Amino acid sequence: MSVGTRSTLWALLTLGGVGVVAAYPLAGTHRFWANWILWFVFMACLALGALFLVALQHVTGAMWSVPLRRAPERIAVLTPWLVPVGLVALFSLPVVFSWTQPNAASITPLVLKAHWLNYPFFIIRLVVCLALWVLSYFLLVKRSVRQDRTKDPNLTVRLRRFSPAFMVILALTITSFAFDWVSSLEAAWYSDIFGVYLFAGAVTTSIAAATLAVIHLHRRGRLPGVTPDHVYNLGGLLFGFTIFWAYIAFSQYLLQWYADLPEEVFWFHQRTSGSMELVFVLLGIGHFFVPFLALMTRNDKKNWTRLTWVSIWVIFMEFVDVFWLISPILGKGIHLGWPELAFAAFFVSGGLLVLQRGMGMGEDMPVGDPFIQDGLDFHLS
Amino acid sequence: MSESVFGVLGLFDSADELLQAIPKVKEKGFVELEAYTPYPVHGLDEALELPKSKLGVLVFLMASIGAISAFAFEWWTSTVSYPLLTAGKPYNGWPAWIPVTLEGTILVGTFTAALGMLFVFNKLPFFGGPVLNSEAADKITHDKFALVLMQVDGELDTGAAVAALESVGARTIEVVGVPRYEKAGMGWWAKTVTGIAATCVVAGFGTAWLVKTFPTVRPMVEMENQPRLDAEAPDTFFAAQRGMQRPPDGTVPRGFMPILAKTPEQGGKNLVNPLPVTKQVLEDGRNMFDIHCAVCHDKLGTGKTWLDSTYVVQPANLQSSTLRDASDGFLYWVISNGFGTMPSYAADISQNERWAIVRYIRSLQRSQDAPERDLKK
Repeated sequence: MSVGTRSTLWALLTLGGVGVVAAYPLAGTHRFWANWILWFVFMACLALGALFLVALQHVTGAMWSVPLRRAPERIAVLTPWLVPVGLVALFSLPVVFSWTQPNAASITPLVLKAHWLNYPFFIIRLVVCLALWVLSYFLLVKRSVRQDRTKDPNLTVRLRRFSPAFMVILALTITSFAFDWVSSLEAAWYSDIFGVYLFAGAVTTSIAAATLAVIHLHRRGRLPGVTPDHVYNLGGLLFGFTIFWAYIAFSQYLLQWYADLPEEVFWFHQRTSGSMELVFVLLGIGHFFVPFLALMTRNDKKNWTRLTWVSIWVIFMEFVDVFWLISPILGKGIHLGWPELAFAAFFVSGGLLVLQRGMGMGEDMPVGDPFIQDGLDFHLS
Repeated sequence: MSESVFGVLGLFDSADELLQAIPKVKEKGFVELEAYTPYPVHGLDEALELPKSKLGVLVFLMASIGAISAFAFEWWTSTVSYPLLTAGKPYNGWPAWIPVTLEGTILVGTFTAALGMLFVFNKLPFFGGPVLNSEAADKITHDKFALVLMQVDGELDTGAAVAALESVGARTIEVVGVPRYEKAGMGWWAKTVTGIAATCVVAGFGTAWLVKTFPTVRPMVEMENQPRLDAEAPDTFFAAQRGMQRPPDGTVPRGFMPILAKTPEQGGKNLVNPLPVTKQVLEDGRNMFDIHCAVCHDKLGTGKTWLDSTYVVQPANLQSSTLRDASDGFLYWVISNGFGTMPSYAADISQNERWAIVRYIRSLQRSQDAPERDLKK
C-alpha cells in the first residue's frame, strides 16, 4: 500500500472518528449505539468467518488451500480488535436492548427469557466469547506464523488437533453472539436458526475477503506457484456458501411466514414493510441472485476481474444484511445519514489499516507447512 | 486409403509421454486427435484443445424451465384454477411455492445432466466404438495411454500416421478399422423394455411381501399410543361406554339451536332473518359465501362452475326466479339441512354466518336483477 493511500486512510479515520464522537450528542444515543453494534457485528462476522476458514482447512486436511491459508489468517487479525469494540458496546445495553427497558417485566416473552437475558449473564457471555475468540486466534494463527520460521511439522499436528475443538467453540459462541447482539435487540423475537444465519453470512463474507486478498497479492507477484486453479476453488466456495446463506435465510423466513405467530412475525414485519421492503428485496437479489448467477459457470470462477467485483459486492451485501437486521430497531424508515457515513468511514478505514498491517504478518504463504508443496501441485483437470 | 480405417492408434506407457506426443503429432499435420486413458489426465483437455462441453448450457436451460414450470404450476393451481384460502395466507402466497420450485429445478437439472450426458452427448443406446473393438482396448482400460490419429474424409495417410506415431515414441501401433455395426433393432428394445418391466414387477411384489412379512419399525410412538378418547370409538372411561358424549337431556349447545321445520317450505314460512342489512353483515356473508358456496354455485350464484360439465347434478342457480322469490327462511333451511346432493353446512357455518350468507345472496340477486328504482340513483 502506498504512503498516499495510508495517509488517506488515516485522514478518513480521523474524520470518521470526529463524526462518530459527534453522533453521540447530535444524532442521539439510540442511533449511535445501533451503528456501533452494527459495526461490531460486521467486524465479528469477518473475523470469525476467517478463523472458520483457517480451521476448516485443518479439519478437512485439504491440500489446495494450504498456499492460500495465510489470507484468512491475516484477515483474522481483526479478532483482537473485537475486544475493545465489544467492551465499549456493553454501554449500549441500557439504551437499545428491549429486555433492559422498564416495560420488560410486563412482556411475557421477555419474562420467560429473563434467566438468559440479564446483565451479569449477558456480560459474562460476551467476555467468555471474546476470550475464546482471542485464544483461538492465538492458537490457530500465531502458531501457523511461528511455523514459517521453525518449519516444525509438529505445529501442523497441533493445529489439526485444535481445529475440531474450535469448530465446537465457534458453533456455540457464534450462536450465543447472534442471539445476544442481534436477536436480543428485539428480545421478544424467537428464531432458533438465527445463529446459523449469521454464520452463513460470516463465512460467505470472509471467503470474499480472502479471495480479494489472494488476487491482490497474486497480481503483485507475491504468491509464486499459486495458479488460477487455486483461486477457482475459492470462487467455488463463495458460490456454495452463497447458496447456503440463501437456503438458511429463506428457511427462516418461510417458516415464520407460514406459522404466522405474533411473537415471530412482528420482527419480519418491521423489516419487510415500508421503505425497509426495498432493503429486503435488495438483500434477496443482491446477496443471492447476483453472486449466484455471476459465478455459475467454470469460466466465471476463473475470471479474476469478475471474482474481484463479486467479492466486493458480497462484502457490501453482508453489510446491507447486518444493516437490515439491526437498523429497524430505530423505528420506521431507512436510517441512513451522516452518522452512518461517519461510522462507515471510521470502521472501514480503521479496519483497512489493521488489515494492511496484518498483511505483513509472516510470509505470504505458510512456507513452513509440510503440505505446502502438495498444495502448490494442485490443479484442476 | 479406404474409409474403412477409423484411425491409427499408438499406445504410450505414461500420461506424460502421451501429453508430450500430442503437440509433436500436431506439428506433423495430424490435427484430428483422440486420446483414451485409464483415468482422467490433467491437462489433456487443453492439449487436445477440446471445446467446452455444452452440457452445462443444456442443464441451465432445463433447470430454468423446471423452476419456471414448478412455480407457474403452483401459481396457477393456487390462484387461477381453484383459488382457496389456506391458513389465512393470500392467494398468491409465493413463499410457500419456493420449496417446490427448488425441487423442480434440481429434479429437471439433475435428470438433464445425467440423461443428457448419456443419451445426447455419449449417444446411448449405441454401445459400440471402433476403439473398443481394437486390440489395444483392454490395455487402455488397464495401464496404457492411447492416442488416435483420426480418419477425416478418407484423407488419412496410414503410412505417414504410423511413422509419425513411431517418431514420437509410441510403443505399440495399430491401425483401427471401422467395424460393421447393427443398429439397436426391435429385439434389443423388446428385451430392454421387458427387462425393466420385469424388474418393476419383481421389486413391487418383493417390497409388498417384505412389508407384510416384517412389521414396520415405528420409532417414537408415545404420542400415538397415549391414553385418549376417540370421538367415534367405544371406550370404557365413561359410563356410556364411548368416547363422544351426548349433551344432557333437554339442553342445546350455544349457537346450535335446532331447526324444528321439517321441510324447506315450512322453514321458509317460520324462520325470520335476525340480522340487519349492514355493510358488516354483507361483508361477512360474502366472505363465507366465497369460501363455502362459490365453489359450486359460482361467485355470482349462477350455478355455472366446473361442476357443470363434470358432475351429474347441476348446482342450483341462485339467480333463478324460483330462488329470487323464495323467502330468507327457505335459503337458511337449505344451508342448514342440505338439499338434494348438497350436504348440510350446519357443522361448518354458524347460525349467524348462515343468515349473513342469506343476506349476501339477496344482494347478489339484486345486483343481477336490479329493479328500476335502483338504476335511477
